[in-house]
Amino acid sequence: MTAPLMHNSSATPADRSARPDAAPPGGPAAKTNPAQARRRWSGRSRKDFVVFLAMALPNLVLIGTFTYWPLINNIYYSTLDWTLGSASATVVGLQNYVTFFTSEDASKVLGTTAIFTVLTVGGSMVLGLLVALALNSKVRGTTFARSAVFAPYVLSGVGVGLVWLFIFDPGYGVLAWILRGLGQQSPQWINDPQLSLVMVIIVYVWKNLGYCAVVFLAGLQSLPRDVMEAAALDGANSFRRFFNISLPLLSPTTFFLLITTMLSSLQAFDLIRIMTPLGNGTSTLIYEAYLQAFGAYNRAGYSAAISVILFAILLVITVLQLRFVERKVHYS
Amino acid sequence: MRTNLDRRHFLGLAGLGAGAAALAACGGPSTAGTADAVDTATIDFSGVKPAASIDFWTNHPGKSQDVEKAIIEKFQAKFPDIKVNLVTAGANYEEIAQKFQTSQAAKTGLPGLVVLSDVWWFRYFSNGSIIPIDPLVKQLDIKIDDFQKSLVDDYKYDDKQWALPYGRSTPLFYYNKDHFKAAGLPDRAPATWQEFAEWAPKLKATSGAQYAYIYPALAGYAGWTLQNNLWGWGGAWSKGWDITCDSKESVAALQWAQDSIYKDGWAGVSSKEAADDFAAGITSSTISSTGSLLGVLKAAKFNVGVGFLPGGPEVPSSVCPTGGAGLGIPSGITKEEQLAAATFLKFMTEPENTAAFSAATGYMPTRLSADISSVLAATPQIKTAMDQLAATKVQDNARVFLPGADQEMAKSAAKILTQQGDVQATMTELKKTLEGIYTKDVKPKLKS
Repeated sequence: MTAPLMHNSSATPADRSARPDAAPPGGPAAKTNPAQARRRWSGRSRKDFVVFLAMALPNLVLIGTFTYWPLINNIYYSTLDWTLGSASATVVGLQNYVTFFTSEDASKVLGTTAIFTVLTVGGSMVLGLLVALALNSKVRGTTFARSAVFAPYVLSGVGVGLVWLFIFDPGYGVLAWILRGLGQQSPQWINDPQLSLVMVIIVYVWKNLGYCAVVFLAGLQSLPRDVMEAAALDGANSFRRFFNISLPLLSPTTFFLLITTMLSSLQAFDLIRIMTPLGNGTSTLIYEAYLQAFGAYNRAGYSAAISVILFAILLVITVLQLRFVERKVHYS
Repeated sequence: MRTNLDRRHFLGLAGLGAGAAALAACGGPSTAGTADAVDTATIDFSGVKPAASIDFWTNHPGKSQDVEKAIIEKFQAKFPDIKVNLVTAGANYEEIAQKFQTSQAAKTGLPGLVVLSDVWWFRYFSNGSIIPIDPLVKQLDIKIDDFQKSLVDDYKYDDKQWALPYGRSTPLFYYNKDHFKAAGLPDRAPATWQEFAEWAPKLKATSGAQYAYIYPALAGYAGWTLQNNLWGWGGAWSKGWDITCDSKESVAALQWAQDSIYKDGWAGVSSKEAADDFAAGITSSTISSTGSLLGVLKAAKFNVGVGFLPGGPEVPSSVCPTGGAGLGIPSGITKEEQLAAATFLKFMTEPENTAAFSAATGYMPTRLSADISSVLAATPQIKTAMDQLAATKVQDNARVFLPGADQEMAKSAAKILTQQGDVQATMTELKKTLEGIYTKDVKPKLKS
C-alpha cells in the first residue's frame, strides 16, 4: 500500500533536482561504492551529524525527561491499585481498564468527551471561518476587529471562566438580568448538568474561535487571485467561488486547524475546572482523570488508566487524520 | 505502509504525551506490600530538638490571612528559634488536599502543619499521611480537656487523636430581618421546616426577593447542609457504615426539598455561594457556614438575623452537623519538624489565639477557657453558633469518611433539586455508588 502525502508527491522533478543534496534516480549517487560512501561519512556527514546532535539533543533530552518518561511511568501507574497519597500500591494488571470500560462512567465520560469535542471543534472552525470571511473584506476597522477577535484566545482561561460565570449566574448574572427584563427566568446554567455542558461549550468556542479566524484569514489571504478572477470572469457568483474554489483551496488550513483544535479540545481543562468544579455533566476524559486522582476520589491508578485511554484516543485520531483526511487536502 | 516521521509528526506525538505528565511526575508508590499505617509505637519525641523552620499550609479559612499572620508574629516573638512560613496552599479545603497529597506522593515539600477539613483527615489517617498527636500532646502539655469536646472528638479514631480543631463551624440559618418584618413574621429562625413552609409564601409575596429560601450551592458542600434536612425527617446519608440515603425518611426529606422548588415555588438553589446570594438580597433566607458570618454582616445592606437550623417532622428540635477544619501534622517529615509543628499547633490553639481567630472570621472559639467577651461584643451573632453546639451531632460516616462521597451527594442533589429527577431512583443509585466506594476504598483499610 502506498500512501504518499500530497505535499511529497506533488514535488516536481525540478524541485527535487534543485535540492543540493538530492540526486536523480540512476545518477551518480546510485553508482557510489562503499569506500566512497565511507569517505563521505568521514567528511561532511559526520560534521552534519554533530551539528544535528548539538541542535536536537537538548530538546530530545527535555522531551524525553518531561514527556516520554512521565508517559511511560503513567502507563505503569495505570496497572496499580494506588490511592493518591498512599506510600504503597498493589499491582492489578489491566483491572483499572476493565473497571472503566465496564462501569457506567465510561459511556457518560466518552459521550461527554465526544459531544464537547465535536461541538467545540465544529463551532470554533465554522464560526472562525465566518469571522475570517468578514475580516477579509476591505472595510474600515478590520485591523481593530482582527485584534478584538483574537484577544480572547490569549486571555487566561481561569479569568475567562470566572467572568463568564458571572454572566451566566442565574441570580445576578447579566444574562439573567436580560431574561428577567423579557419576563423569563434564567436557566440553571451552573447546577443543571446538561446546561453546564452547553455553557462550557459556548465559552470555549468564544475563547478559541479567534485562533481559527486568524489562521483561516491567513489562508484566505494567500489564495491565488488569478484563479478567483478567472472564476469571476466565467460568471461564478461569490457563493460558488467560495464553495468550489476558496473552500477546497483552504483545505490545508482546514486540515491543520482540525488537528490542532481537536487536540486542544480533548485536552481542555481550565474552563471546565473553573466553571464546573464538580464536573457534573462536563466530565470529559481529561477532567475525569483529574477528578479521579486529585478531585476527591484519590484513585491514582484508575486515573492513570483514564489518561492512557485518552492518550490512545489522541494517537488514533491523529494517525487517522494523517492517513486518511490529509489525502483530501489540496496543497496547491 | 510507509511511515513519515517528519518534524511535524514528531512534535505532534510529543504533544500528545504532555497531558499524562502531571500525574506521572509524582513519585511512585511501593508495591512491596508495605502497610500504610503509621507505626505509632515508634513515635517518641524525647531528646528531639524542634526544627528551625516549618511551613504552615492553609487556605486561610474565613479570610483569615491577616489574623494568621498576626498569630505567627506573636509566635515568632515567643519562639524565635522556630520560623513558621505561612503558605497559601489552596483556595479551599479541596485544593489544599490536592497539594498535600501530591507532595505526599512526590515524597517532598511537605509542610510541618496542614489545614485538613472534616472530609479529608480520615483519608490522611487511612493513608498513613498524618501522625497521631497523643505523644506530642503529652510532651507539650496541650490541654485537650479545655477544647470543646464535640469538636476535638471529631478527630479521634482508634483511641488516638489525629488533629486538633482550628476553623470549626456549623451551618447557621441566616435571615433578612427586614423581609421577615415586612411579611409580619416573628424575628427569629423557624423552629421547623414545616413552620418555614407556612412563612415562605408570605415572604415571597412581600419581600421582592427572588426566593424565600435558597439552598446552598451544590458544588459547595451540599452533602453537609442537607444532613439537616435528612436528620429532621429521621433519615441520614448513613447510619454507621450502613448507607441509608434511600430510606423512606431520607427520600421524604429530599422530596420535600424538591417540592419547595418545583411545586411550591418559593425556594431556589444557589449557583456559587448562598451567603453571597443572601447578602445580595436575592433571597430572604439561607443556610451557610458560621465562617461566612462576618462576610455577610459586612456585605449585607439590611439587618441580618441568624438562628439555629430548623428541625423537621420527626426531630422537631434543631439538628445541626459540625464542620470546618482542623490542623494535623504529616508523617513524612522529620521528628524535629513534627515537634516544631506541634509547638506551633499548641500556640495556634491557645485560648487567646482561638478567640482572636473567631473575632476575625466568625468561626467558633475551640477552647472552653477562651475569653470571648470582646468577640461577642463585636459580633453577638457568634453566640448563636456557640449555643447551637449543644444541638450538633457528628456527621454521617458516608459523607466524611468515603472518598468522593461529597461529590456524589452533590451530583444527586443536583439531579433532584435542579432537574426534578425522581428522588427514590436517584437515592437508590447514590446508595449503590456509596456502597461501591465503601467496599473498594474504605473497608479494606478499617480495623476489623
